Amino acid sequence: MIVADQLVKVFPGVRALDGASLRLEAGSVHALLGENGAGKSTLIKILTGVQRPDQGRLLIGGEAVTLRSPTEAAQAGIGAVHQERNLIPAFSVAENIALQRLPIRRGLVDRAHMRAEARRILGLLDVDLDPDVRVDRLSVAQRQLVEIAKALYGESRVLLLDEPTASVSPAEAELLFTVVRKLADSGAGVLFVSHKLEEVFAICDTVTVLRDGRTVLDAEPIADHARDDLIDLMVGRSREALSFPPRPPATQPAVLELDRISTAAGHREVSLSVRPGEIVGLYGLVGSGRSELAKALLGLEPIESGSVRVRGKNVVIKDVRQALAKHRIGYVTENRKEEGLFLDQPVSRNIAVTVWGRIAGALGHVSPAREGELVSMWVDRLGIKLASSRQLAGQLSGGNQQKVSLAKWLAAETEILIIDEPTVGIDVRTKGAFHELIWGLAADGMAILLITSDLAEMITLADRVLVMRDFRIRGELDNDHHYDRTSQAVIRLIHSKEI
Amino acid sequence: MSTRKPLFGLLGLIVVLVVVFGTLSPAFFDERLVLFPLLRDIAIYTVVGLAQMVVLSIGHMNLAVGRMAAFSAMFMGLSYDRLHLPLYAGLCIGLLAGAAIGAFTGWIIARTGVNSFVVTLAMDFALLGLIPVVYTALTANAAFTVKPDGMRELRQYSLGDVCLGNVCGSPAVPQMMLLAVAPMLALGYLYHGTRPGRELLLTGSNPLAAELSGIPTRRRVVTAHLLSGLLAGLAGFMLAVATGSFRATIGEEFLLPSFLGAILGGTAMAGGVVSVIGTFLGTSLTLVIRRGLELVGIGLEYLNVYLGVILLLALSADRFLQRRGVKS
Repeated sequence: MIVADQLVKVFPGVRALDGASLRLEAGSVHALLGENGAGKSTLIKILTGVQRPDQGRLLIGGEAVTLRSPTEAAQAGIGAVHQERNLIPAFSVAENIALQRLPIRRGLVDRAHMRAEARRILGLLDVDLDPDVRVDRLSVAQRQLVEIAKALYGESRVLLLDEPTASVSPAEAELLFTVVRKLADSGAGVLFVSHKLEEVFAICDTVTVLRDGRTVLDAEPIADHARDDLIDLMVGRSREALSFPPRPPATQPAVLELDRISTAAGHREVSLSVRPGEIVGLYGLVGSGRSELAKALLGLEPIESGSVRVRGKNVVIKDVRQALAKHRIGYVTENRKEEGLFLDQPVSRNIAVTVWGRIAGALGHVSPAREGELVSMWVDRLGIKLASSRQLAGQLSGGNQQKVSLAKWLAAETEILIIDEPTVGIDVRTKGAFHELIWGLAADGMAILLITSDLAEMITLADRVLVMRDFRIRGELDNDHHYDRTSQAVIRLIHSKEI
Repeated sequence: MSTRKPLFGLLGLIVVLVVVFGTLSPAFFDERLVLFPLLRDIAIYTVVGLAQMVVLSIGHMNLAVGRMAAFSAMFMGLSYDRLHLPLYAGLCIGLLAGAAIGAFTGWIIARTGVNSFVVTLAMDFALLGLIPVVYTALTANAAFTVKPDGMRELRQYSLGDVCLGNVCGSPAVPQMMLLAVAPMLALGYLYHGTRPGRELLLTGSNPLAAELSGIPTRRRVVTAHLLSGLLAGLAGFMLAVATGSFRATIGEEFLLPSFLGAILGGTAMAGGVVSVIGTFLGTSLTLVIRRGLELVGIGLEYLNVYLGVILLLALSADRFLQRRGVKS
């Protein structure tokens, strides 16, 4: 009923889709699989009219269509439940369901009709929810069901579910699957995007696998494939990890050790250690608890049990200031725009923020000359392109912004660096330069904990890979920088059955 | 830099208006009757604007700026009336009181995470209740009228009374102006040349990134509100000296001008950008307009309409420039 044919979508520096196809049949649940960055999100954005393809066609019921906006997609009968929540907490269930196309009578919202329609759709899903209750009173799973009801409002025959079980309990997921199954049986086409292979095998009929923006498995019955086959297809054998000149093995004792840490955020028994000159990779899917671990380590989330040792001594780190001043630990954050940079401030301040403590004299006086010297040294060393150090950080390109947020920790003379998703949204060439930079830092003796969802990046850089899932470390691998072997081992750990 | 501070524009506008008002009404240039009181008002309201500017620098507001001035002035009046302290000793006690109430407000905000708008509004109400009670209990007619030595001189003396050999200063510039220049210099240095000042700006620019860069953001919130209380206290003192008594109603008219001066001068409401000189010029502009309109015979009832319109235009321009800054 809906066919995507050889879609191509190019963003600056990256071909997000490069011949992706998808065939979704009525009455079936169709799995869309692929690693991070394979192009799933882009494909979904095209199907829901958020973005338009550069090449390729979209067919609905055999006719070529152009979807210019989410509203047009909805009119064409495509409803979607996105990864992020799109409900308005203070509105009622019925209001949220009908929000996109409120029934109007004489210029006012026809509340009776809206409520009846909401009740009808909830009935269709066999969900017992009061349409008048406010959404913020509902559980996460109930909200998920409201999202589905919202996607079905109007006459949606196609439902896209992007990671619908990312934040619900197993029991709630069961309920969701029942609903999905029912919908398919009543003739709807459901596209199911998930990282959890168990779920995919339990609920889906057919499967499409994307890799590097290409369809490598096109709408085949899922029963024909073993789980390992699908993993191999997702990972592929084509990509080569970049290689850098080898670094001497890290032999000094670990400078950062976590021993059976449990946190309020949900981590259980997490242990790891990083030596000077070593890059330890922390791999996992989005939401597996990696950034939260970094934040707990820096005192931003409470640690409930276990111990943190820095240079062999047990420590309690209160905040980032202490981590920096006392322990020389830096944290390059994941969201550079929200957490890493001061966009409306000059680059110089963005870099110097961590060094004021060191260079400030009496009464906190900061010598402009000393500051300028440090800033221009790091601008040169990292090759940050700017007109002047008074330029605002918000005016730089993504790659240069990321360099600025790294520069501030290097300028601070940290010895332990936690780097979170360093190359998200950065073009390929800058990415390579970044990898070289991180490699060089380790060669100079920095202890680096690298958090990334980019498998190729992990295999290029890390000496050891720790795999995190559901806030626990699921395994550790020595990385031989051999893409095939390591990637498959990592993916197997990620998708391994619950222990 | 895209956060252009409209300083030259302001300065130009002030010069043009002074010329226009001076032409329409030559009395505008009367040193004793017009310029001296005008500059004294500019001095007072510049300090008021600075009291707002320091909290705006971290993206907060202080709606209690006027009542903090009254609170501070109350302690000054008490020290003169009951303790018979000299002028500047009483000033110090009052400033301490202002700093304390500011710091306490900041501490509540940092501790609870409640919006500064709400907390300072609540503080305003609390002080609104407290101050008259104290005055009623301790004074006969709701004011401390004791005038310590030096108060009259501070009110009346100008730079014309300061001479170096034969060269004297202008009799149009009140000595009280020095009480505004001192905090301007201090704040200028704080924001441009010191660690705490820059940390205030970065806290205002992006609190989360500030926290994650090792800035003690809670302490900076307290710092900003402490400074705001201190400056409000200073402004309260200056107004009391200018009017001759320490009374409960001091600071009642501070709130609107405090925003007007700071924001006209290019301080961003969202935090992260301040201008000390701009606050001075913004305040000067509003007071020049006010005094000029009075002199050319515009009634008091329309005066506030004009001032309101100016505030609206300034705020819109602020927003506009900000958006352009983000885009480019």
